[in-house]
Amino acid sequence: MSDIRLEGVSKRYGAVAAADEVDLAVAQGEFVTILGPSGSGKTTLLSLIAGLNRPTAGRIFIGGRDVTDAPAQQRNIGLVFQSYALFPHMTVLENVLFPLGVRGIGGAAARTQALDALKLVRLDGLQDRRPSQLSGGQQQRVALARSIVFKPDILLLDEPLGALDRKLREELQVELKQLQRSLGVTTLLVTHDQEEALSLSDRIMVLDKGRTQQVAAPAEAYLRPANRFVAEFLGIANFVGLADGRTGLVRPERVRVGPTGINGGRPARVVETIYLGQMVRYHLALQGGEDSPVVAALPFVGKAFAAGDEVAVSWDTADIWPVP
Amino acid sequence: MTSTPWSRRLLAAAGIFGLVFLTVPLLIVIPMSFSPARALTFPPPGFSLRWYQALFGDPRWMEAMSTSTIVAVLSSVAALVLGSLAAYGLRRGSFAGRDWAEGNFMSPLIVPTIIVAIALYLSLAKVGLLGSFVGLVAAHTVLNVPLVMMVMGVAVRDFDLRIEQVAWSLGASWSYTVIKVMLPNLAPSVFAAWIFAFIGSFDEVIVTSFIAGKYETVPKKMFNELILEVNPTITAVATLLIAVTVLALAAVTLVLGRAGKLGQTLVER
Repeated sequence: MSDIRLEGVSKRYGAVAAADEVDLAVAQGEFVTILGPSGSGKTTLLSLIAGLNRPTAGRIFIGGRDVTDAPAQQRNIGLVFQSYALFPHMTVLENVLFPLGVRGIGGAAARTQALDALKLVRLDGLQDRRPSQLSGGQQQRVALARSIVFKPDILLLDEPLGALDRKLREELQVELKQLQRSLGVTTLLVTHDQEEALSLSDRIMVLDKGRTQQVAAPAEAYLRPANRFVAEFLGIANFVGLADGRTGLVRPERVRVGPTGINGGRPARVVETIYLGQMVRYHLALQGGEDSPVVAALPFVGKAFAAGDEVAVSWDTADIWPVP
Repeated sequence: MTSTPWSRRLLAAAGIFGLVFLTVPLLIVIPMSFSPARALTFPPPGFSLRWYQALFGDPRWMEAMSTSTIVAVLSSVAALVLGSLAAYGLRRGSFAGRDWAEGNFMSPLIVPTIIVAIALYLSLAKVGLLGSFVGLVAAHTVLNVPLVMMVMGVAVRDFDLRIEQVAWSLGASWSYTVIKVMLPNLAPSVFAAWIFAFIGSFDEVIVTSFIAGKYETVPKKMFNELILEVNPTITAVATLLIAVTVLALAAVTLVLGRAGKLGQTLVER
């Protein structure tokens, strides 16, 4: 049974469609990411599901119930924004108690429930602080605790880690994933960061100009993209001409780079060498070919080619994905 | 920041001249109110509180003060509620004719007061409220709604919409969100808006003269007294009005300054 279902959901502003006939089914407990560039309509889609906005066409179901015309208050949704959106005049505990108070849960029971939620996001001990006294990462944890304390049917996250620096973001990604799995709550996350989408989600929905481009598991979308847009948005894409006239995709990790004349391969020159810590990335120009420049990413094992070096470049035919 | 020293000096001179021009009357009126002389003389020949005794001993002045206070309290609260709701709707809503509606709400501040006075005179006469207490309060409310909207419009715009949206998603109704989430955060602006509306009503003379009928507010009575005779009592009244205004604006400065909103509220618009 699907927990969130969109059927032909559209949101038009005049002639512009922020969401164009979007279909999606998210299973109970699944973590799905809506990925797209800015202006792709991903936030619009989330606000439609949250009930902050009404679609101009289509139906939205949550837990089998048609909520298309229900206000946000009646959807039992946990919502987290990039800007945290904490209540500034309340303490951490009061923020987390808020949804319980609205539901008529008070006293010791509510307090226990709120403190448990704070423990889940590892904020126990900070319940009497004000949001302004917390770091960005801590504030986002409060927002997360507030969004799960009342056991919502679904969790909606709008670029929740976008305001944090890289290291903290990666830490919180791991925690978010663990928390989501342990709670088993159906989760929809919106982001423009393809790494975040690939690492967090069970499935990815790629959106462009309000239209669904592909819905697939991360590896599937990365290696077998449904079209050129998905291929380029999910990472570096090498396009090669195929014999039948189609275009093939080779990801940089599948490109081999070696010294010339050892075991075949096409001759190429290194244009640029970029160290990425555990990886090294080469930008290569194939010799005498009409193909576009090729990017290769290899594990860095202490020695690398330098710009200007002549190398041999090859890839397996099995690693070529003909882009539809 | 390309101003030359010369133009900067001119600007400073103009600023100082403006300040002196505005404060000299106050510096003359206040000492005069403590004068023992029967006629208006400056500088005052001595010190006495006789004009304050005359003021507080005069039941007609006392009645004007109570009328002014009641009208100011009622109309400022009404303007606060209506102006805040209008500011919320105009900032948060997107509907056809929004700019038109905002222009309409703000017009009492832009249109010359005499025009507003005549418009209110005619429309209150039409609905039979001319010269009535209700009509007076309603007129002052209309006049002060723009002041409230200015202050509250900035406050609502600067309040993150997503905080409201989260509250809704957590199950809170719109009114619950406004009372429990917005108002506690906007309290300094609400206080400032209320003070502006209160002073706006307390100082009002033009519209009141047209539509108040038998009701006499303090400024209206001052105006009428000046026409009949020059009585030094009026300097005592003026001093009290100045004191009330200065104290109220000081309170606003303090509250908004503490909330870090002063510059914003006064500069924007």
